Parts: sequence; structure tokens; C-alpha cells
Amino acid sequence: MRNLTKTYPEAAESANKDISFQVREGEIFGILGDNGAGKTTLIKQMVNLLTSNSGDILLYGQPIHNDSLYLSSLVGYMPQESHALNHLTVGEALFFSAHLRGMRRSAAIDERNRLLQTWEMEDLRDHNSARLSGGQRRMLRLAVATAASPETLVLDEPTNDLDPQKRRLVWENLRGLNRERGTTIIFITHDALEAEKIIKRVGILHRGELVVTGAPHVLKRNLKNKLRLEIAFPPGQPPPLPADLVPRRLSATRWQIVLEPHQLSDVIAAMDIDRLADMKLNSATLEDLYFHYVEAV
Amino acid sequence: MSKRFRAQNYPTQVVDLVLIELSNWRWSWRSIVVVSLFVPLFGMVGLSIYARDLGPEALNAVYSGSLVMSLMLGNLGNIQSHVVFMRFQGTLEYFASLPIHKHALMLAIIIAFFLLSLPALLTLLIIGSALLRISLAPHPLLLLVIPLCVLPMSAIGALIGVRAGSPQQGSSLSVLTAFVFAGLGPVLFPAERLPEILRLIGTVNPAARATSALRQTLIGPLGEQIALDLAILFGFTLCVSYLVESKFDWRASHAL
Repeated sequence: MRNLTKTYPEAAESANKDISFQVREGEIFGILGDNGAGKTTLIKQMVNLLTSNSGDILLYGQPIHNDSLYLSSLVGYMPQESHALNHLTVGEALFFSAHLRGMRRSAAIDERNRLLQTWEMEDLRDHNSARLSGGQRRMLRLAVATAASPETLVLDEPTNDLDPQKRRLVWENLRGLNRERGTTIIFITHDALEAEKIIKRVGILHRGELVVTGAPHVLKRNLKNKLRLEIAFPPGQPPPLPADLVPRRLSATRWQIVLEPHQLSDVIAAMDIDRLADMKLNSATLEDLYFHYVEAV
Repeated sequence: MSKRFRAQNYPTQVVDLVLIELSNWRWSWRSIVVVSLFVPLFGMVGLSIYARDLGPEALNAVYSGSLVMSLMLGNLGNIQSHVVFMRFQGTLEYFASLPIHKHALMLAIIIAFFLLSLPALLTLLIIGSALLRISLAPHPLLLLVIPLCVLPMSAIGALIGVRAGSPQQGSSLSVLTAFVFAGLGPVLFPAERLPEILRLIGTVNPAARATSALRQTLIGPLGEQIALDLAILFGFTLCVSYLVESKFDWRASHAL
């Protein structure tokens, strides 16, 4: 991606401003960003569903605009909205997606059966896609995006609407595709904590600008080994904290405190631990990384 | 560094997409039965009461006009609402993400809805001829005339579908268009019963040309006019198809 900019007609501000980055072949690249940061716009530019006002996108060295079928034959795309695929059944949607991506008819039938099994959708095979639940449609769109094993996957919020079991299945399958087939995976997620399990490099998007890109373990060095302490307390009884620490309020009864290791003993001493409902201590996560860079802007 | 990509050839794309689009029978059969069969059938019965006193020419006009209305209302309305549905429900993004040509998709939609409308047309054709006691003398050209009656209306439905600002706007426009085409020219009434201005407009109205072509190839006699009818239907289809192709941007699909 080189110098991508997108301004919607009649919009006062650009959705994306001069974004440049490179995703390497076989990489799992996550894009983090808050609501309205321009993540979905960027993803749609990548898969040529939105025309950029300026900039270039090269896929395996070739501009994506040169041939209308070049990008769509190499990239499997899962949109954010999990709409119905016409009135196709789940089995039909998988078969046709595989067949239209160049598989022979018999191979496409095998691929359909494999996908039904991989994405645990065997019992939905003959269900009309228009009548699936939001989570089931999302699983179908994921399965459709991976049909015929495209070289690259571009996924917009792949785990939204999914229960914890399905979310785990999604991450496991994506990791498997990357490991076994070398699939390059680019995705957007709000679920930074779970995404951390598979991300190899991350890009943080804020107000249409790419704030930073890099491997999480490298970027985390900038957090100087900060810790994240999450505490839950009874309603109306927040614990006292040392004056130099400002908690992030996750809810009325839950705070998050980012601190350096040497501050931990002071915090523990200041709080009456017995009166806390719950307490969790973690090393810095992708989420902390995100807040660190976004708050610095 | 660039990769060799895999995609199906154009005919295979069209065949697959027609099969995908045929899955629309799951919602469209009710609309087809009502709009393409019952509405023209009741219209045919109602108009025939008036037309009986005007002679066989008027009855023939009611019969062939009702068949055209069935093709028009059914295909125009269904294609329009389907294209609008795909645009506003994000289904177009699914197709745009596959290695297919957008004109293959539009062609498949038109073919599929044409095939889906055939049972209603054949039923209307048989019931109508029995009710109006019209003896049919089908000419082999009918096999060309029926698709050519459908194509201009389908293309207009597609054009409304790709340009409508909302589903409501699309459906109002398609109803209005169908009635404008039906009213401006000799569609449901014989030409000699219409004012001069409507006869004049009727010479370029595809619905009037379709009625004329259908009457000649279904009831007879086949006149020299058939060549002009087919040429106008074909020309109109080409023009509207060009507009659809140039205005149809599946990358700029809307989301509700």
C-alpha cells in the first residue's frame, strides 16, 4: 500500500490519509483501531471495493487495477457485515465460491465438504443462508472467503458476533491456514487480546492515519515493561490509589491501571485487597500497545 | 513475483451465476405467481369483457398485451428489486470478491429471471387463449420473440436497480415505468382505438413493439412489420444494456 488516501464525497475529513505499509507474504497482519478510525475503508480499498483518491496498491508486485480478476482470484475477502448470500444454502454458497475460484466441479464438491467440516457447519449444509443467525452467517462468510484456499485473506472483524467457542475455532483455523498453506492473512479486529495469539505484525490506525506498524514484541519495548492491573470492586467502593496513578475506568465497578513493576508494591499497599471483588495482573498486551500509541497522538 | 491466478472461463462463470441466481425462486415464486400470472390474468379477463364488443382485433390486443404485461411486470419488477436488494444488503460485495466479470453477473440475473418467469407465461398463454377463445398459430420465430420481449424490460429493471437511491424508490420507479410503457402505445388496446399521439409514441415503445411481435408470431398473420419490431426491441436492449454496464459499479455498493 503506497500513500493511500480516501475522502468520501461531501465528507469534511478524509477517511484515510496517506497510508503506506507493506504486508509480507505468509504474514499475519492485524489492523487495530477505534470506531471511525478508517479500518473498514482501508480494507475495502485493499480489496478494490472502494476507489482510492490517491495512492497505489500492489499485490505480489502487480497493481491491482491492471486486471479486474487478478485481485479477486488471489484474495479471499470477508466483509464486516454478514449479509445473506442471495438465497443460497450454505452448501451451495461454498460449492459455487470454490468452483468460481477456478476449482473443477468434483474438487469444488470435496472443498465444500472440507469447509463444512473445518468450520463446523455440517449441520447447516442445507440451510438457507438468508435464515442463518448473525454468528452463523459470519462463519459462512469466513468459510466462503477461505474457499479454494486463496493466497491471501482479508478479513474485516472475523470474530464479531461469535461465542467464545467459535472465536477460538476461528483463530485456530486461521493459524492453521497460515502455518500449513502459507496463507497471508490481513485482518481488522477489536478483539486485540485474542488476536494477539496469532498476529505477527500489527498496524495501529487512528483518525485515518497509520500511527505505527511493527511486530508486537518489538513495539512493546516502548511500553518499558509496563504491567496492567485490572481490579473489580463492590459498587460505590473504589479502592484508594497512589496519587500519581490515574486508572482507566472500564465500568462503574472495574478499573484498569497501567503501571511500572516498581510501582506494584505501592499500589497493593494502598488498596485494601480483601475488599476487592477481583484482581488480575498481566504484562503489556496489544490493547495496551494500542492505547499507548493512540493516546500519544 | 506476480502470481498466476485461477478463474473460470466466461461461459462457466455465466452458467454458475445463472444457477446461483436461480436459487432466487425461493423468494420470487410468490411474486411471479401474483405479478406475472394473476395480475395479467385478471386484467385480461376484465378487459376482455369490454373488448368482446369491439371484435376479434381488440381481443387479440388484450391477449397479447396481457402476455407482454406479464413479462414486463414480472421481469422488470423482480430484477429491479433483486438488484436493489443485492446493492443495499451487501450481497454484491460477495460477487465483487469473486473472480467474475460484472457483466456476467448481470447477464446471469436476466437469464435466471427470464427462466423463472416462463412457467407463469406459459400458464397465462394457455389459460388466456382458452378464456378468450383465441386460436393460436405459433410461428417458430416465437422462440426469438419471447426472449426479445423480456430483454428490454429486464434491462430497464436492471438499470433502475443499479441507479435507485433506495429500495422504496426502486420499486416505485419500476411500477411507474411498467405502466408508462403499457399506456403509451398499442399494448392492451388496438392501435386504431388510440389517439394519434399514442400511436406515434408506440412506434418506439418496446412494450408496443413486443405486443406487435408476440401477436404476429402467436396468433398471426406474420407481416413485414415483424422485422422492424425485432430491430427496435434489439436496439432498445442494446442501448439500455450499455447504460446498465456503464452505470453499474458493484464496488460502490451501498450498505443499509
